[in-house]
Amino acid sequence: MNIISVGVNHKTAPIEIRERIALSEVQNKEFITDLVSSGLASEAMVVSTCNRTELYIVPAMSEVNCDYLKEYLISYKEARKEVRPEHFFNRFYCGTARHLFEVSSAIDSLILGEGQILGQVKDAYRIAAEMGTAGILLTRLCHTAFSVAKKVKTKTKLMEGAVSVSYAAVELAQKIFSNLSMKKVLLIGAGETGELAAKHIYAKNARNIVITNRTQSKAEALAEELGTNRVLPFETFKEHLHEFDIIITAVSTKEYVLNEPEMQQSMARRRLKPVIILDLGLPRNVDPEISKLQNMFLKDIDALKHIIDKNLERRRAELPKVNAIIEEELVCFGQWINTLKVRPTIVDLQSKFIEIKEKELERYRYKVSEEELKRMEHLTDRILKKILHHPIKMLKAPIDTADTIPSKVNLVRNIFDLEEPNQSHQ
Amino acid sequence: MPEPVRIERFPYRLLMANIFLDNNILFLLTQIVPLLYIMTAALYGVHFFNELPQAGKLKQPALILTVIAHVADLGVLTSMEGYRLSYSAYNLLSMVALTLTITYMFIELTTKSDKTGFFVITFAAASELFTSFLAMHSSGSGPAFSGIGIGVHLISAIFGFSSIAIAGLYSGLYLVLYRQIRLNRFGLLFQRLPNLEALELLIMHAVAFGFFFLTITLIAGGIEQRSSGGNINLLEPKLVTLVTIWLLYGISLFIRPLFGWDTKHMAVLLIALFVLITLLLFVMSIITPTFH
Repeated sequence: MNIISVGVNHKTAPIEIRERIALSEVQNKEFITDLVSSGLASEAMVVSTCNRTELYIVPAMSEVNCDYLKEYLISYKEARKEVRPEHFFNRFYCGTARHLFEVSSAIDSLILGEGQILGQVKDAYRIAAEMGTAGILLTRLCHTAFSVAKKVKTKTKLMEGAVSVSYAAVELAQKIFSNLSMKKVLLIGAGETGELAAKHIYAKNARNIVITNRTQSKAEALAEELGTNRVLPFETFKEHLHEFDIIITAVSTKEYVLNEPEMQQSMARRRLKPVIILDLGLPRNVDPEISKLQNMFLKDIDALKHIIDKNLERRRAELPKVNAIIEEELVCFGQWINTLKVRPTIVDLQSKFIEIKEKELERYRYKVSEEELKRMEHLTDRILKKILHHPIKMLKAPIDTADTIPSKVNLVRNIFDLEEPNQSHQ
Repeated sequence: MPEPVRIERFPYRLLMANIFLDNNILFLLTQIVPLLYIMTAALYGVHFFNELPQAGKLKQPALILTVIAHVADLGVLTSMEGYRLSYSAYNLLSMVALTLTITYMFIELTTKSDKTGFFVITFAAASELFTSFLAMHSSGSGPAFSGIGIGVHLISAIFGFSSIAIAGLYSGLYLVLYRQIRLNRFGLLFQRLPNLEALELLIMHAVAFGFFFLTITLIAGGIEQRSSGGNINLLEPKLVTLVTIWLLYGISLFIRPLFGWDTKHMAVLLIALFVLITLLLFVMSIITPTFH
């Protein structure tokens, strides 16, 4: 019994290859169903995101190896011209388990600790379960991976701190103000960057968000999407600058949108209450001289990148803790896999004793009353349970390594005179 | 200031020696309390700088244990005098350490924020250690006084100083964080300290409480003086110092709405006041073992 994983990801292949080999949800369902129904695999799952397409397979025949699966996927996607086997990685058995644990806990992600991947692995498992291609092995593997991810999230700081510019902007605002719901936010520019920043700050309970944009309809559309419905005309927004505690600028312009004299005037009007200006524009939207004003915190993209770098550094420092969690779960998973190897022997052992019990009871069926027979059956069940308890416990003992299992199984089979295990049990 | 009824007549050192010899529990507590302060400050420090989970789990129980042990220590010590506090530098500084710790514990339990504990507890531990030093070298008398007026005067002075200390410490933290953000230094202090607005709120509350307790201190002192029939000497150094501090604190409460001062300037003023008052206290404790 083996688990194989092959696939392409951001570490093994460039984006054009990853795009070429990616599977949509419909393709994913079709692909794993084909693999299992054609008898190539007994279990199959595909994790397909923008950064990776990875197959997790329990082969049903010895011919199905890594090279076979790579070719199978390439031909399914009809990508023989662009994609080569060298773009793939291979993992076997515990290596597969370790890889899925690393993927789920986000240490294999392009951005270390990004939280989306766990949801994507869960989706992959859901699809496999729906299609009936997730059996005992993949189910256990996936649930252990989810447990690893949960432990990593709760016991380490791998997922803490902003690692995108718009998130870093919000993190910085929260380091100045306690409660963003009490603060008035001005968003200058309703483009993609501005929208992302507005959504992040809205998610942190900022509700008083006013939007201004050269094209007013875009500002109105974003305000409606956020549910704030507050828009200021671009021509007049400077008259209201003193009202805002947080100003986010993200416009495409060569001239400064905010200059030092008008901000100085605004600060005087708000009696030097702190203001944070987050300049997300490139080229910069705000005159850097403004940062010299008292209680004015002006931060551009470079400053926010300092926060991201520090946060990534802190995340990297958590890697030993994450690896320790993975190692621990890997040992448990390995022990569980070993118990699968002894399962046929346990089943045979139990069957043998039940058979003996039934034969012996049969001899007394017409010699004793029905009530007495029931009592005898109950008694023999209890005796069998106690006799079998220790041998079964010994077989399942988690300290075993894969190497010691065959000798142990053979010993039990010889002692109890069990027939050779049926191939279907394996 | 009033001349209250003195109960204790023995030299302080002799009294302490006798107390310790006769009372094993007091001896034990007096040794343990400073150690508990050091241990708690160390746990808060390790958790703040290294985020060691064990330190995080142990620090709050250690804080509570320190407070309980300190209260027990003061209880056993004052039980010798019918639970009246001795007005020695020893007891006053020890009380400052205790009230600071209790105030911080209240802040931590109510705000669930433990990020400033290291700074407050370290100051409290330093006060307690200085207290131990004074106890060893004190040779003056440490009289206990009776009367509600002087009791209120003393307790409110202790709480007043604790508030001043907290305002000063948080002002320092405010300025550090302010500077870190301005200079784009997003390191450990940026990550761990509460945000600027939260620190500002703590500072303003501490100033308000400080002013309130100093006002009570002045009023209670005046009432006690009148009831004991003494004359108030307006040029008495301790009275002048107290009134000056009271005025500066009062002004700092209204300086913002009146003159438009921002928190940064307020923080500088509060640190200056805290340093000034701490120096005055230490100097007075060295010159005389009693404050009255």
